[in-house]
Amino acid sequence: MNEKSMMNRHHGKAANVVTILLWVYSGITFFILLYMMYQSLRPKRDVLSKTFSLPQSLNLDNYIKLITKEHFFRYFANSVIILVAALALLVFLSSLTAYGIARYRFKGRNICRAFFLLGMMFPAQLGVVPIFQIMKNIGLINNPLAVILVSGANISMPVFMLTNFFERLPKEIYEAAVIDGAGEWTAFRKIMFPMASPVIFSVCITSSVSIWNQFFLPLIFLQRDNIKTLPQLVTKYTSNIMNTMDLATAVSTLSTIPILILFFIFSSKILDGVTAGGVKG
Amino acid sequence: MRKIKKRPYLFFLLPGFVLYALFVVYPIFAAGQLSLFHWNGIGEKVFVGLENYKELFTNPELLKEMFNALKNSLTIFVLTVLIQIPVQLIMAYMIFSKAKGHNVMQVAIFSPQFISTPVIVFIFTLLLDKNVGVVNKIMEMIGLGAFTRSWLGIPEYGIYIVWAMITWAGIGVGMMYFISAMKMLDLECLESAYIDGAGFWKRLWYVVLPQVKMTILNIILVGYIFSMTVFDYSYLLGGTEGGVNGSVDVMSLFFYRMAFGDNTPLGGYISSNSMGMGTTIACVLFAMVFVVALLQIVVVYGRGQKDE
Repeated sequence: MNEKSMMNRHHGKAANVVTILLWVYSGITFFILLYMMYQSLRPKRDVLSKTFSLPQSLNLDNYIKLITKEHFFRYFANSVIILVAALALLVFLSSLTAYGIARYRFKGRNICRAFFLLGMMFPAQLGVVPIFQIMKNIGLINNPLAVILVSGANISMPVFMLTNFFERLPKEIYEAAVIDGAGEWTAFRKIMFPMASPVIFSVCITSSVSIWNQFFLPLIFLQRDNIKTLPQLVTKYTSNIMNTMDLATAVSTLSTIPILILFFIFSSKILDGVTAGGVKG
Repeated sequence: MRKIKKRPYLFFLLPGFVLYALFVVYPIFAAGQLSLFHWNGIGEKVFVGLENYKELFTNPELLKEMFNALKNSLTIFVLTVLIQIPVQLIMAYMIFSKAKGHNVMQVAIFSPQFISTPVIVFIFTLLLDKNVGVVNKIMEMIGLGAFTRSWLGIPEYGIYIVWAMITWAGIGVGMMYFISAMKMLDLECLESAYIDGAGFWKRLWYVVLPQVKMTILNIILVGYIFSMTVFDYSYLLGGTEGGVNGSVDVMSLFFYRMAFGDNTPLGGYISSNSMGMGTTIACVLFAMVFVVALLQIVVVYGRGQKDE
């Protein structure tokens, strides 16, 4: 280890320049976020006409307007409902499927594996016309369930990650559980599923980012105002900043900064999770 | 019930299989079938065989739109390969070698990943807008006032700005994959290279790069699929039309415009055959993704096997 740290001290000039460039890049990213927060504390006319002058009045008026008059929390709740339900469905389906593939030897097992990988090359939006027809037929247009089902059924990556995990567990664990009198289902629920929790955490991290920020499916399926999600609310104000600059900055900040704070606090865990079960090598 | 008792795996596979087959696999085949019909989504379906494909590839208007969208999608892909991936590699290498402040760097570079696309686009508006944009202000301050312009209003820059947004938002993910690939390197290899006198960058080139080349390949493939299917940025920046003269139009947006038209689903302006032509484009796009995705699966799956 000593060797390595010594090795790392001798980076040379070019490396120092690159390091400084990366600092600048990181600094710009932080600056952008702070700048957005700062503008969200100013009245609309200040932002538009005196964008760069010193602050005259900083207050939370934009946020108060956003929350009391514009029903921010309704959109927030819609997003949370979709996230929680879709994530629960995704974890439920993918852990069961992966366990089934990894634990049992049966005919067509490899075909089954390949079948569940197919989704990686089927981007959801390409099949959206038939999905739209299905949803119309079962009456789920303008129902969050449509988005939940489609995002929760997209299990290719999680199944891949979890199958790899379950296959690597030593056989003795299953056998011990079964000898202790646990049925197949109990063995899965009480022993195998908890053991997979690091991989499931990693699935949750990667999937929740894409579900929370998804734009395409809500755009297609959620057209009534009272069921729209947070990203849709953002576009409502950012599409015409001359009129709604105040709300645009406030909603952008409020939908971004709390999540980033969570990320900063748990960053090492989350960053490990991003790659842990993913594509290695 | 007895069948399930005898084959317990069915019990585990069934729920996932049903929903996954219904919402992920079936739609692609259904789209293939729909592309053979002249249909607007509500009225009567008329079987027309391959007419939709013929029209897509012979109608000069459609062809022009498709090639423009394809050109823009490929521009994003090429920029990703030529600029983004080398930058990701260098970032990963610096963080891997514990450059000063690497923890903060890593968090800063990754954090835009958590910001939703509409906010990313809005942030770039705050930066690049003609009147309230930070970039123009800074240029004025350093004496480049003559070069200030309405960055977002110039069609020629459109697709590059889309790429810049995509890169700022997503650069951290690939970087993390590179870092985790580098962490699996044999440290002794690096050490002996160091002792043999290989400098910092030589070690990257001769020791690290060969070891992460599978990851590079994988990220190139993911980048290709992404650039073919990216939608939000262009839609938010240029609307359904994809900006002035389709300056930010991409393949997915072209598909969306044909299938769902101007405003709402089923309110499309080419209404008489919106679903037929929409699914046709989806199938063409799918074919283009499929070939490359197959390659990706071979890479990913092959790696998965080797790990065991």
